[in-house]
Amino acid sequence: MDIPVIEPGVIPPDHVAPDALQGIRRQQTNPKRWDGAGWTEFAEVLRSAGIEVVEQPSLRGTFATDAGGTAYGMPHGVVIARSAVQVADLLRAAQAHRVPVTARGGGLTTEGESVAFGGVLLDMTGMSRVLAIDREGLTVRTEAGIFWHSLAEVLRRQNLDYLSAPLNLTSSVGGTLGVGGIDVNSARLGCSADQAISLQVVTPTGEIVECSDTQNPELFQRVILGYGQFGVITEATLKVRPYTPLRLHYFYYTSLRTAIEDLQLLDRNDASDYSGILTMMDKVVNLLVAFDSDAREAAFMTAWRARLRGHGEAAVALRMAAYYALHPWRLGEALFLYERRRKLFPEFRRAEYTRGGVMFDRTVVFSRAVWKFWGGRQMVIPDLAASEEKFVEAVLRGNAVCRKYFRHYTLYCVGIKLREDHRAHYELSCVPPDARERAYGCEFEPMIGDQVIARDRLQSFKNEIYDIGVELGTSYYRFGGMMKGYVRRVFGDALVDKHLAHKRRADPAMILNRDVIF
Amino acid sequence: MAAGQRGYEACTGCSLCLLACPVWRATRDIRLTPHGRARALQCGATADELAASIDACTLCGACEPACPQDIGLVAMITGLRAELARHAPARVASVRDRMNDRMAARFAGSAAEIRLLPDRALAADPVLLGRVARLFGGDGKVSVAADDGSDIALALEAGAEISEARLERFLVPLRGARRLIVGDGMLVRALRGWLPAVRIESLGVAATCTAAVRDRLRASDLYVIEPRAYHADQERLVKYYDALRLALGCSMNLDLQRLAIPTTAGCLPAALGRSSVDVRDQARWILEGREFARIVVEDLNDIAAYTAVTDKPVVHLAQLI
Repeated sequence: MDIPVIEPGVIPPDHVAPDALQGIRRQQTNPKRWDGAGWTEFAEVLRSAGIEVVEQPSLRGTFATDAGGTAYGMPHGVVIARSAVQVADLLRAAQAHRVPVTARGGGLTTEGESVAFGGVLLDMTGMSRVLAIDREGLTVRTEAGIFWHSLAEVLRRQNLDYLSAPLNLTSSVGGTLGVGGIDVNSARLGCSADQAISLQVVTPTGEIVECSDTQNPELFQRVILGYGQFGVITEATLKVRPYTPLRLHYFYYTSLRTAIEDLQLLDRNDASDYSGILTMMDKVVNLLVAFDSDAREAAFMTAWRARLRGHGEAAVALRMAAYYALHPWRLGEALFLYERRRKLFPEFRRAEYTRGGVMFDRTVVFSRAVWKFWGGRQMVIPDLAASEEKFVEAVLRGNAVCRKYFRHYTLYCVGIKLREDHRAHYELSCVPPDARERAYGCEFEPMIGDQVIARDRLQSFKNEIYDIGVELGTSYYRFGGMMKGYVRRVFGDALVDKHLAHKRRADPAMILNRDVIF
Repeated sequence: MAAGQRGYEACTGCSLCLLACPVWRATRDIRLTPHGRARALQCGATADELAASIDACTLCGACEPACPQDIGLVAMITGLRAELARHAPARVASVRDRMNDRMAARFAGSAAEIRLLPDRALAADPVLLGRVARLFGGDGKVSVAADDGSDIALALEAGAEISEARLERFLVPLRGARRLIVGDGMLVRALRGWLPAVRIESLGVAATCTAAVRDRLRASDLYVIEPRAYHADQERLVKYYDALRLALGCSMNLDLQRLAIPTTAGCLPAALGRSSVDVRDQARWILEGREFARIVVEDLNDIAAYTAVTDKPVVHLAQLI
């Protein structure tokens, strides 16, 4: 790095990201650790109620960080959730003793939202059994700590599948309902949180309440997309559907803008059952299009295929070869792309999952690839969630930030169908306030691999992405934890104060997931 | 640890190992899983602190191919068990006694090209063992190893030290074989390291390669793969069994990740009566929602597990012929 000479008395520029942090102070440090006052008495109350509290440091350390791997904190104790009654006992005691409670499902947050900075960590994966499947009504009742993949395993035995879930095997149902959950069919079926029919929730004061659009609807509104502020989801009833394998097509682009325009064209016209963009930097942009049935695939081929501007793999490879022949100084990038393609593409076409152009168990295929090729000790995935109109600009500007910070990265873009009747759920959530009918999300994921990158640098990268959101008036999927400095800037004081007032009423001691949003 | 595998330090906490772990399924307690152990070790836990977790593992090996970080999770458990045994030698006293007995026994060598190493359950059933031997060519072509190495398999599972002398005595007669068919999944994994020049196959793979067995498998069968040998070579065997499934039309005890769901019937914790996994519950889970007329198992230990939960016939591969 070329560090300029600094004259005495002059404040030097920020070498990490000189034009980042527009008015946002760096927030990359962990929240203040809870001081532990009253912990012993609290733990004793739990034990006398027959609740196991794990206090051995090495075992608490299992939960010291989340998938992001940049926020670290230690709970004073860990409780494995076993029943709604047990969770209610715990929350009542926590209110009385003012002990913070951090609920954790799969722990796949990236900003420390599921990391406990003292207090008790409630491991919800202890409640992860499927309770009942209604094959006629196409619903499932499940404990909410279940991983989506475990739910899929049970549903598949009945030839059923969930509607939409994160492309990640170990996201939990409860955690996902609290934040959104996007899939490559979300443009058609909405986010995972919109699939919930009803929930059993333990409120921060320890009441066990069933809620839905018709039963305790206000609580339902708060808990869905509520970032864990208004209760612990212990059970959920979800819509399910008959299982279908996928008929998959990939179209390759060298222009992000063109690919996004085509994605939105397909979504607007309901031309496919699945659609999404996954890129290798901005060089190889892959539009995934898939179908649940031959009929839908045939309709697409007739009406829409010719209108897409994407190419086949061979054609895009030729174009890339020509580009790098003219830009030989980018040979390193070309080699990276070649190597990436060589390793990654076969993973998406494994014979045991794909036959005759039909993919079985897409979540396994995608999730294995996600962890194998993008997973690591640190995962930073800032995102922008925008209205359809603003999305292209948001992605192009975010892409420029990625290029500035990282040699290698991936963008993942999908549409999210919105439910007008759930407009109240969307307040203070990842759904941008100006989106109508459909919103779009883009995740900007640097490929860090086994490197360890300074949190300052990662935070500057995230800030620069999020600053775009402030300017454009978008929202974010991951605005909690270390990014909560943006909550007021994006949503405004009035809305945040309104929800904070709700929170104070629902959680007088402010114990539940208290450092996540407010 | 096999070449290319990494240590617990590489664990990122993705939890993919949980999805296939029978102990997790039974307990929903992350402390008893590979994820829990690796994270605890990263935070300085000792083997003694993790003893309950280490003892709970059934060593089915499903976690290993599931791990995107290529952590040697089976070696991690056997290593930790060995560490526990060093701290408390009484834990493995009976295993040591068994190995000492084997050292005193006399075993004859064989000139047969194919050597069959039955697992303990198969070795105890001479009629079935005879059928298995005939399946691969019978006398002259195949010989049943007099030293089946079951004490070594047990030592591997328990973490007991295997003396060089005992190991050498076990391996010497096997080195002359061109092909080794092994019934015990723990031994399949270890023998590949010990005898890299010998073609080593699990009993299940070897048997299903024969026309005699393939001709008798039906589309209405539920075929139960022995998990330890399968997971030790899952990258290759997933293709083999997928092709077999397609060719025969039968169903298998594979989950959505194409990992073999174990009953855990033959594992050490079950043998000691200390397993946190209910074998019958695992068998029920494997059968749930599956339509089948007969169950065909590779591992004899599984027969009792399935007959306890279904009225449908349950047979070992060798009973097909």
